[in-house]
Amino acid sequence: MKTVAVTLLAALALGAILLAATGANPLEAYQAIVTGAFGPDGFQDTLAYAVPVVGMATALAIPLRAGMVNLGGEGQLVLGAISAIAVGLHVPGPLGLVAALVAGVLAGALYASIAAVCETRLGVPLLVTTLLLSYPAMSFAAYLVRFPMRDEGSSLPQSDQLPADVRFTELAPGLFLIAAVVVVYAVVDARTPAGFETRVTGWGPRFAQYAGIDRPALTVRLLACSGGLAGLVGAVVALGFPYRFIDGALITPQYTWIGLLAALLAAANPLGTLVAAVFFAALTSGGFAMERETQVPRELTAVLQAVLIIFLAAATGLLRKRRNPA
Amino acid sequence: MTQQQPESRAVALRGIVKRFPGVLANDHVDLTVAPGEIHALMGENGAGKSTLMSILYGLSHPDEGTIELDGRSVTFSSAAQAIDTGVGMVQQGFALFNSLTVTDNVVFGAEPTRFGLLDRRRSRAAVAELIERHGLRLRPGDKVGDLPVGVRQQVEILKLLYRRARVLILDEPTAVLTPAETDRLFDVLRGLAADGHTILFVSHKLHEVLALSDNVTVLRDGRVTLRTATADTDRAALAAAMTGRDVELDKIYPTGSPGDIVLSAQGLTVAGHGKPALDDVSLEVRAGEVVGVAGVAGNGQTELVAAIAGLRALDAGTVTVLGKDIGRLAVRERRAAGLAHIPEDRVETGSAQGAKLGDNLATGFQRRLARRGWLRPGRIRDHAREIVEKFGVRAANQDVPMRTLSGGNQQKAILGRELTHDAPVLLVEQPTRGVDIGAVVNIHRQLIEYRDAGHALLLVSAELSEIRALADRVLVMYEGRVVAELTKDEATYTALGLAMAGGAS
Repeated sequence: MKTVAVTLLAALALGAILLAATGANPLEAYQAIVTGAFGPDGFQDTLAYAVPVVGMATALAIPLRAGMVNLGGEGQLVLGAISAIAVGLHVPGPLGLVAALVAGVLAGALYASIAAVCETRLGVPLLVTTLLLSYPAMSFAAYLVRFPMRDEGSSLPQSDQLPADVRFTELAPGLFLIAAVVVVYAVVDARTPAGFETRVTGWGPRFAQYAGIDRPALTVRLLACSGGLAGLVGAVVALGFPYRFIDGALITPQYTWIGLLAALLAAANPLGTLVAAVFFAALTSGGFAMERETQVPRELTAVLQAVLIIFLAAATGLLRKRRNPA
Repeated sequence: MTQQQPESRAVALRGIVKRFPGVLANDHVDLTVAPGEIHALMGENGAGKSTLMSILYGLSHPDEGTIELDGRSVTFSSAAQAIDTGVGMVQQGFALFNSLTVTDNVVFGAEPTRFGLLDRRRSRAAVAELIERHGLRLRPGDKVGDLPVGVRQQVEILKLLYRRARVLILDEPTAVLTPAETDRLFDVLRGLAADGHTILFVSHKLHEVLALSDNVTVLRDGRVTLRTATADTDRAALAAAMTGRDVELDKIYPTGSPGDIVLSAQGLTVAGHGKPALDDVSLEVRAGEVVGVAGVAGNGQTELVAAIAGLRALDAGTVTVLGKDIGRLAVRERRAAGLAHIPEDRVETGSAQGAKLGDNLATGFQRRLARRGWLRPGRIRDHAREIVEKFGVRAANQDVPMRTLSGGNQQKAILGRELTHDAPVLLVEQPTRGVDIGAVVNIHRQLIEYRDAGHALLLVSAELSEIRALADRVLVMYEGRVVAELTKDEATYTALGLAMAGGAS
């Protein structure tokens, strides 16, 4: 914890030098980030951004806990969203809301399971299968909103709007859903044999095999959970404003990659993943505010974030683990 | 026997002090060795042997003290400098190019040249001359990869001789050798000593030290506890100097009273590179019996245990435990059928080094320590505490990472965990490798108690003394096959050694 604090200060100091070098006032810029992220105007934005980031971070942390990397979060996220929309457009009322969420979860879970089975049955590494299967999923959704599911009244690649009773008009339901999932993950991780076996696998694959843990079955189960949660995040986002699927809208904000970064930094620890994801979400949303309020150019926000992330990564053990493998 | 002569010292380390954070690895250590002397350096793990040798070999710097070679004070900043000054070391793992010839390996890094090109003829002549002079059984043109381990070790020694090393350090050189190869090595070393070379022989094997060395220095906790002429000491005195107390050595336990067959393996075959790693091996182990598997490392013992444990797929054969066929089952199902396993590799297979001791001990018990699907941290702690207390695992607490424990304590933890399964069959590989003498006695007693409680043990060990101490029956493996089966009385060092070299059928 102390190392992290020191690193954070060091990163902020380096960032201040960079900011000063471009003629900006570092203190003002940092202040803009903080008020942008947590001030009365910005807090709502931060939360709205944090929900999908935390969701994706947790989704990717689940297999990462066992040392498995799911690089296909984007595909699972998009499939979850488009499935939720497809169901929500056809099933009316509160039932539609539930059905849409379930559809999102199932779509993501099934799609991620395919990647897992490709590894366990065919021996193709999970890194490859998850990443490569992500692209056809995104392309498929892009096709759907351009042709069969297209909003006829618009020239944009987007779906029709969901009916008024199949919507999350506020942030709260999505927030609670994702928060509940994080709690469930933390409890399962710490207090169930399945969570224990997942951690054992993460400690060392050979130790896990020796101890009798069925890696193939675990791989499929973890990937199904991971993809299911990614699909849920997609569904939650799709059910919220603007209540439709817009091509690229889930990709541009980088939910998946910021989430993966948070999960990696926290070594997939449930609470750590949550903290890291919220931190990155606040930083990003504060960064937008800094860009608006000060003369600091957009590129420098990205540089500042990168500096922080690299310093944190160095401190929180990614490098430490390499140094003493014995 | 050459006594230490103050006027001629090949090596004199004086007052060596080396501190590591929290540890005094060498505490004013003196070590003097005369030219032509074979000097044994003994001590348990962590006694400071390796630190002292790495200081002599230029790999680390002493905080205090001096190093003298042939009466001149020297300071090394690298191993290359040490070898230039005439100090060479044969490490435990060999550093050889398997695809190159003996000559190429020996001259590597100091090749004779002619007009800037390699002079192969002179290389070969120089190496042949050295082989001849020291009576080694080597041919300059042989490819190193084709040679047995014992012969490869001679190539390592030859490398040092070629670089005109006068002081040779050998770190546990017999660990990988058959008894016959060990004898051969000792002949070579005696010849080198007679030729005026100085030999530093680092070992923890009492009988080898007594058989080979002229003088002995024993370290414990970084200090010299005994320095004597070998002729004036014996096994008990050396063991006492190493451990600081009297140790019961080489106790041979009486045979147990075997009951019904518990583990049966028939026709086990596992493919290897070229020839099978395991070739039609059959064995049976009864309740209350320890069956020992002897053999030089790499003759199929590892594959045998892996195949029974389910860590390696069988190409042919059956394995039954208590009459149940487990040969095609997953590891979890085999364990459920009655297997426990203390693996050879305790760092990656037997434990998770980065995880807490308590979690390491809970692994495998996670389903049993749960109630209605929930783990109970209290029960996990109790489970760990019971094992720690019963098996005398020394650790600050059960939350420390496994890697902070010494090798012996890690082994006790793994042993304790696996014995706690109370499984009818225990597969146990190299139970005391790298474990201190004091702990060896303890581990042996635990295994015998486990046997006497009616369990079946399959014991794989490269230590013949361990096989002789524990096994009621001995199988000897050579090139993937069981080449001999001996009763406890028949399993003498001579008989085992002969069979291990493939000399019995």
